[in-house]
Amino acid sequence: MNKIAVVVAALSMAACGPAFAGNSLVSPGVQKGIAKSGLSAVADGEWNRLARRDGKFIELWTRDGDSLNKVTFFGGVPEGQSLFRELDKKNRPLPKVISNMLITDIPTLLESSYRIQFSVNQFTVNEQEPVVFSGYNGIKFSFTFTSEADEVERRGEAVGAFIKNKLYLVTYEAPAIYFFDKDLSGFHILASSLKL
Amino acid sequence: MFSLLIAGLLGAAAGGVGAPSSPANAALPPFTVGYEPSTVDERGIWMEADERERRLGDSKLTVRDEALNRYLKDVLCRTVGQERCRGVRIYVFDVPAFNANMAPNGTMVVWSGTLLRVQNEAELAAILAHEFAHFELRHSLKGYKQQRRASDFAAWVAVLGVLVNTNTSGLQESLLGSTFQFSREQEEAADRLGFQYLAAANYPTVAASQLWRHIMAESDATAIGHGRKPKQRYNAGFFDTHPTDLRRAEYLAEESKKIGDSGRDARIESLRTAVASHLPGWLDAQIKLNDFGGTEYLLQQLASQGGWTGELLFRRGELYRLRGNPRDIVSSVQFYREALAAGYAQPALRRNLGMSLLRSGQKTDAQAELREYLRLAPEANDTKAIQALLTQ
Repeated sequence: MNKIAVVVAALSMAACGPAFAGNSLVSPGVQKGIAKSGLSAVADGEWNRLARRDGKFIELWTRDGDSLNKVTFFGGVPEGQSLFRELDKKNRPLPKVISNMLITDIPTLLESSYRIQFSVNQFTVNEQEPVVFSGYNGIKFSFTFTSEADEVERRGEAVGAFIKNKLYLVTYEAPAIYFFDKDLSGFHILASSLKL
Repeated sequence: MFSLLIAGLLGAAAGGVGAPSSPANAALPPFTVGYEPSTVDERGIWMEADERERRLGDSKLTVRDEALNRYLKDVLCRTVGQERCRGVRIYVFDVPAFNANMAPNGTMVVWSGTLLRVQNEAELAAILAHEFAHFELRHSLKGYKQQRRASDFAAWVAVLGVLVNTNTSGLQESLLGSTFQFSREQEEAADRLGFQYLAAANYPTVAASQLWRHIMAESDATAIGHGRKPKQRYNAGFFDTHPTDLRRAEYLAEESKKIGDSGRDARIESLRTAVASHLPGWLDAQIKLNDFGGTEYLLQQLASQGGWTGELLFRRGELYRLRGNPRDIVSSVQFYREALAAGYAQPALRRNLGMSLLRSGQKTDAQAELREYLRLAPEANDTKAIQALLTQ
């Protein structure tokens, strides 16, 4: 009888666990093997690594919850693959990475993926400038978007590059009011320390 | 005894399901100015609709264009009559898909994707009249009551079934089905009343069936573009809330034939003028949905009316460039050049033509176009990135 009680207790704990199970703390300092790739970066302070992955090549970090601030690492998306795991492959397939894409195609790829995957109906790409990403020519850009789900205006910044035919992209996004500015400097430290 | 009770309950349910319930305040149509909902149910759904309308007023996705809104209201008034349309508020919502709806309190929402798809004012009038018919016939209230009735009965059937040890899942399923059936019947009723308004307003009623044919053709084109088989069904499935597009197109076409009014003016120009300033933005949003087949169909339809303008050719170039197969890149270069020849003068054309040329290995031509872009748009927010392309 006692054994049954223990099993029931263990099962019920497992049942309420998934809400946070697997999320882990990212300590300040160098982080290696981000998004199961050779990507490394320096964290300025503590972050939370989400157990949830929105795609095969993704790792998500947040400080206060991913709707308030989110860093998405796309760790080497190869040709023919989409940025995110497709929710409705049959009816709403996502655009794929193409080998001869230019760095200036990266913002559009992200925009199109957001419009389809997250029902973002308003998305504007703002400043775009070249950047060196782990020794490769890359692009840094900023964007603004509003999704149909919560209609909160969010701002974002991203750095990306094609390295050995794979797309490496790191984005930061947060509500335009208060949250975006709060962790922007932390993202800049991450972005400028990216190494492959 | 219990079996008899279940049978009795079911009989009552079957009688209620699909049967027109007498609307509260039936003497007064809901479009009457100053109309007040009378029953608890009606007050409840109006309260919710009022709250949704307040949110629409605040929403960033609501298109705030006085002229466009006035045009939509004019089309509605022309279709259903001044008396009926007076209290209706129309909101255009920025969603790149085909949809419109009307709340019981007289709020009508038209998605921007609908305005991109209608080919003339008559088709737009058919949609507005259909939505208005739902409102006039108090479909929200009836649907709400029907749903509650069916789910109440299903719950009782389940409880009584357990008491008499009888499997009632089949009966519960038929009650669930009755809800969807009810919804399809409402859609057809709205189609038919809307059709009458269209006829009375001197629009060619054939527009109502043509609209559904375009939607089916686009959906087929989307399916083919995604590597699927096109498939239009005549019979609605169990869970469908609407009749199939094919069935709608057919019964509306039949009605139209009886009237024989295809010679009437569908007023293409007035629609084109009203949406002109929004069309580029709506097309850009559509192009980024990765729906090559459907978008190409939409562009073809627009071109079939006013020819391939520079604006449309540029978007066609964009569509091909974004799909990005090597042959698409070559096609995009051609469409961009045709757009240029047709007088399209936006600097973005030079940039994107340059990017396509670069991807197809024509570096010298690409650099010339990218330089031209920088000359035309020296203050653009991507000049540094484009300069980087020139040196790479």
